[in-house]
Amino acid sequence: MSPVRVTWSRTIGRARSLFSTGFAISGFLAASAALFAFRLDAAEGVSISVASVWASAVAPFLPALAAFLAMDVWSDELQSGRIELLLTAPVKEREFTIGKFLGVFTMLVFATFISFATMVVALRVYAPSALAGVGVLGFCPAFFALMLQGMLWCAVSVAMSSVFRHAAAAAFASLILLVGIPRGGWAALLAWAPLGRPAFGEMLFDAHVVDMSSGLFSSGTVLSYLFLSSFFLFAASKNIAVCRFGGRGGRSLRLSTTFALILAGIFTGLAVELVNRLDTKMDLPVGNVETEFSARTRGVLADAHGEMTVTCFLPRKDARFRPVGHFLRKLQRESASLGGIKIDLRFVDPLWDLGPAERLVRLGATEGSLVFEKGRRNVVLPLADGYGERICASTIQSLTMPPQRRNVYWTVGHGEAARDEYGAFGMSDIARELSREGYRNVAIDLAGDAQIPSDCALIVVAGAKEDFSRAEAGRVDSYLRAGGRLLVLLAAADSGGVASLLPGWGLRPSPATTAGAKSISGTDLIVGEFSEHAISKPLQGSRIVLERPIGFMPSAAAETGSGADRIEFTPLAKAGTAVVAAAVERGVGAGADLSIRPMRIVAIGDAGFVMNGQLGARANANRDFFLNCVAYLSGTDASVASGAETNVLATGLDRVARGRFAAVVAGAVPFVVLLLLMAVAARRRRRG
Amino acid sequence: MFEVRNIAFTYRKKQVLRDVSFVVSPGEVVCVIGANGAGKTTLLKVLATLVAPDSGVVMVDGQNALARPLRYRRQLGYLPEHVALYEDMTVKEYLNYRAALKGEPVKRIRRRVDEACEMCRISDLLRAPIGSLSAGLKKRVALADALLLRPRVLLLDDFLAGLDSDMREAAGSVLSAAAAFSSVIVTGHELDDFAKWATMFFVLKDGVIASSLSAVGVDRAALRGRLAAVLKGGAA
Repeated sequence: MSPVRVTWSRTIGRARSLFSTGFAISGFLAASAALFAFRLDAAEGVSISVASVWASAVAPFLPALAAFLAMDVWSDELQSGRIELLLTAPVKEREFTIGKFLGVFTMLVFATFISFATMVVALRVYAPSALAGVGVLGFCPAFFALMLQGMLWCAVSVAMSSVFRHAAAAAFASLILLVGIPRGGWAALLAWAPLGRPAFGEMLFDAHVVDMSSGLFSSGTVLSYLFLSSFFLFAASKNIAVCRFGGRGGRSLRLSTTFALILAGIFTGLAVELVNRLDTKMDLPVGNVETEFSARTRGVLADAHGEMTVTCFLPRKDARFRPVGHFLRKLQRESASLGGIKIDLRFVDPLWDLGPAERLVRLGATEGSLVFEKGRRNVVLPLADGYGERICASTIQSLTMPPQRRNVYWTVGHGEAARDEYGAFGMSDIARELSREGYRNVAIDLAGDAQIPSDCALIVVAGAKEDFSRAEAGRVDSYLRAGGRLLVLLAAADSGGVASLLPGWGLRPSPATTAGAKSISGTDLIVGEFSEHAISKPLQGSRIVLERPIGFMPSAAAETGSGADRIEFTPLAKAGTAVVAAAVERGVGAGADLSIRPMRIVAIGDAGFVMNGQLGARANANRDFFLNCVAYLSGTDASVASGAETNVLATGLDRVARGRFAAVVAGAVPFVVLLLLMAVAARRRRRG
Repeated sequence: MFEVRNIAFTYRKKQVLRDVSFVVSPGEVVCVIGANGAGKTTLLKVLATLVAPDSGVVMVDGQNALARPLRYRRQLGYLPEHVALYEDMTVKEYLNYRAALKGEPVKRIRRRVDEACEMCRISDLLRAPIGSLSAGLKKRVALADALLLRPRVLLLDDFLAGLDSDMREAAGSVLSAAAAFSSVIVTGHELDDFAKWATMFFVLKDGVIASSLSAVGVDRAALRGRLAAVLKGGAA
């Protein structure tokens, strides 16, 4: 047997013989299951996979479990003096370290698997609808994500155990390193830079779990975890090598080890930076598989008439060929069953179908794209942008409706989120979505003498961090007085931009952020209460996810005046009693004078709620909410997007069933596991 | 042939070992004796690769052992001064684990464990948890561990401390048996016991080998007296 295997086996054997292992694992199971049951309630109706909810409930407790399981793997050897016997064996320090690391990691995998199995079985019994479209395989990315993180936590904990002679000190140091510094540092960062809050978004580790469990894999993230784990294992091995000579000479070794660790740290940092720069993303269709088309898509297909050709310009050997073909056929069948537009599907392989390929290239298509053609009009849709239901429905809609472009002006120059920024903190995804919906995105700099053009359908102020100048605010004010439309995404009540203008128009931002019990990651807020307003009514039954939003109240200007001067404040979305999104309108019911264009402002208390990172992490109703706002403000009420009706988490648990579910997963199962592990430990101790 | 050449070791500016050199032939049982703090344990730690010497080499069959420590440790059996074992394991589990760790093939482990247990007279304790054993029995288990793979070099630090009179009596036969395949180096203070079975004595004084005495063909009582005299500061 290899030394790694022998050490691995010994580490597991020792853990099995300890009563504390049973307490640690059952405690982990109980805590994670309780949080899962709690978050399951919060996620009811949110477009999120149950696997993501499970992973985000397990992830916070993994560092503690790893620290507990690993705390004495080295420290006990050091304290008892057994290290002398170990180090006279013909085994390299790194083999010992890897064996011990694998032993701890195996225990971690075991505990996480028990948690996974418990959840799946309990959900099958109590809430089978929550598993619809997910299945056991849907949990694999979530499990992988947890194990990737668990691997790093174990490596760090083993390294700490090699530093401290006391197990408790090692566990404490691990917890400081794994929980205290990241989470405390994150909280401090948010407190220190509140204006940058939307840009920071969720905590990195939580976001990784949510992303990966949703099927969004990033090579940079995966490799970063591997590199960092390797570094900590290397550090542990080196530390044990120093222990061999600890306190008795070997000064040159200690110096060389320190030098090696510094070099390894620099190398790891560079490698992490490199793999993140060369990042490749992969989106696995798991956990949130769409089972049927939404009402909006069905509406678009039913309303469209005539014939349309959809060409898939893709080599047949391409990995996307089958899923894209499957999706297009499904779209074709759906349209036929609704009696809508007749879709003629064609598949052109650029390597073999040279004639049709040449024609598509003349249309501007490149390999790996979909070409929608209706009459003389056509739209080329690169598959790299996605080929989902919403994108195709928007494309079909834009081709079947009369060409009409409405200009959406995005203010710039005040630290706003950029509509052409493709990173996690940019707005490129939602801007592209608007383009598909028939809007034209234009940047506007209100500084200088620039006036707001007359073709402006609405102005978007997306999380401005700096105040508008008096002249700029005056221009916006004049524009609103003339019946202008404004969409404001606020990062904080005093975050600048046009915040100072709002009270005059009936809206008063609350100085505090809104917190609530309904949260998935702990930092976000699930909002499910919507008013009967044209924007929010279609979202009934859906959930939007906001990051610590600010609230709004009607100001003194609201609900005063009469006729054309009356300003009406309407809450759109509520979290408890706080209004986190609101609309104000002046000139409502001004009579039969249709020439009056009512002023409209919609304010949302989270500047980052449609940033790329947020939209990518969760397929929630945020996108619909934003599109509805834009449609309402621009006056195209007829094409207001519908809220998500499919693809949402639905457990169907009432209060009693939820209590029973929580009692089983967080009480009964951990207790049984505790008894079993105690029995194993007692049996090992009774032998002989 | 086990050869130690010019070993020197400094700890916190104090020279603990100075120019220590000796040779142990196969079949020899060498006793390193000396007062407390003379450097006996440090010398064995250097030889067990637990401590790096400032200078000097350790040769096994003409090869520099410290240059290839992994290979050297395969030929090494070491009993530390303070025995610490895994209390949660049985004796059999522990010895199996140690034999596997030392790279012994699985099919030979059982035989090796049985041999070592027989030599140390703990065959009837194989199923006993180590936590339930007395300090003396634990030392016997540790000795069995050191003898497991018939090492070429056997280093026993303060070997007789904590052993009962029966085991002290039997120690001679154990070490004589071990000397058949090992160069044995023992440290301790039990001159009466050592005088019965040692073949060579090195007296360590302030980190230097002050005296070496061959015990072959020498009257045990005389030897005992000469050793006591050397330890007290007289000449051999």
